[in-house]
Amino acid sequence: MEAKEVFDELKTILVSRLKFDPRRAAEVAETTPLPKGVEGSIGLDSLDFIELSIAIEERFGVVIDESENLTAHFASFDTLSRFIGGRLGAA
Amino acid sequence: MRRVLVTGLGVTSPFGAGVKAYWAGLAAGACAIRPLTLIDAGGFRCRIAAEVPEIGTGSPRRSRADRLALGAAAEALEDAGLSAPDRAGAALVVGAVGGGMLEAESGYWARARGERAPRWAASLRAMLPAAHAETLAHRLGLGGPRHTVVTACSSGAVAVAEAAELIADGVVDVAMAGGVDAITQMCFMGFNALKLLDPEPCRPFDRDRRGMSIGEGAAFVVLESVEHARARGRRAHGELAGHGTTTDAYHVTAPEPQGEGMVRAMRVALDAAGLSPADVGYVNAHGTATPQNDRIEARAITHVFGAGRPLVSSTKSMIGHTMAAAGSLEAVAAILALTHEIIPPTANLATPDPEVEFDCVPRVAREAVIEHAISNSFGFGGQNITLVFRRV
Repeated sequence: MEAKEVFDELKTILVSRLKFDPRRAAEVAETTPLPKGVEGSIGLDSLDFIELSIAIEERFGVVIDESENLTAHFASFDTLSRFIGGRLGAA
Repeated sequence: MRRVLVTGLGVTSPFGAGVKAYWAGLAAGACAIRPLTLIDAGGFRCRIAAEVPEIGTGSPRRSRADRLALGAAAEALEDAGLSAPDRAGAALVVGAVGGGMLEAESGYWARARGERAPRWAASLRAMLPAAHAETLAHRLGLGGPRHTVVTACSSGAVAVAEAAELIADGVVDVAMAGGVDAITQMCFMGFNALKLLDPEPCRPFDRDRRGMSIGEGAAFVVLESVEHARARGRRAHGELAGHGTTTDAYHVTAPEPQGEGMVRAMRVALDAAGLSPADVGYVNAHGTATPQNDRIEARAITHVFGAGRPLVSSTKSMIGHTMAAAGSLEAVAAILALTHEIIPPTANLATPDPEVEFDCVPRVAREAVIEHAISNSFGFGGQNITLVFRRV
């Protein structure tokens, strides 16, 4: 799966699982940051990250290993898409 | 009071995923009680349980119990063929006890040893019994009233009854109801400490029974008013014709020795359904296989129905005691007995107990066309319920 396709799936997850307004989800760019408190971010908090992780595992069939530091991977749509793409490639 | 139909069934059982696998196991009289793998039972008298073999549904970040529930509830929804608008108005009533304790307790143990607890934040979010309902509502788009019922081992059956009340009273037209529990250290150690577990697969109503076997699973039913089901042209599996709920108010674990609370639950349920005892062809007993429960329940059943009838079996002999899921799994067993015209047996029953004055359908399923079946569930603390199902 291409990074672009993963990005589109993540936008779908924003709406279906994190209950974002579809218009807001449509506006996000690949460079848009995820975590709350970062300028220009979509404002995900810790509970959102749990739900997002569950949704990613269920949608892409990957298991996210917490023993590595995931902060950099969950920084933006771009980093997250690459991370998931890498997992899919490795599988 | 509106009549309530069962229009969807979903099960995750020790026989695997789905209603079909569940019924195949029950009708074959198979026993799914095997060596325990989920938790370390080293040093325990009992080291067996009825585990669900494969959990296919959902992220590993979800609790095992949530995944059991999701599989069953999704199957029930699909079986009922509910539209998104119907789901948006549907009530959700979940019977639960252990919640996500399996993951939480192993996380606490890891942290106590100074180790990293895997998926810790997700485990904490899923720990409380009410978490199942949160998961199901969110994933399945169930937007009506949401309740979690915690009445020990009768939780799953009470959940079905509470949901039926919401429909009968006109609060909602459609409801999803059932129960779920995964095996946990807390539950297994607790029953072990109470000396209620048989080291061998449990033998309900056997003279030599020595206690229960723990199981796990989930079962959900879609309930619907007759009018609503008719309007969308849906056939039902059966009618939930009535239920009776009583409390012993006697002891924290032991049932009241005369079974008076159990008798009242069965009688209230029959009255609610407008039935006399002779109308009931099958009793899916609580039948835990503890010396005490089965003796008192047998007495109560005989008291209500008279000696020699109806047919009685305990499906716990095959899937163990699935705790908060038991009442709903056994409700589904009773409904399937009506629709398949087969009474599931009491497995492992070798030596009949002379104190039991009815036919326990030992080891082999029996063909029988019946019009009504009841399912008994008696939770610790004397939390009794009887559900009555009618063939449609």
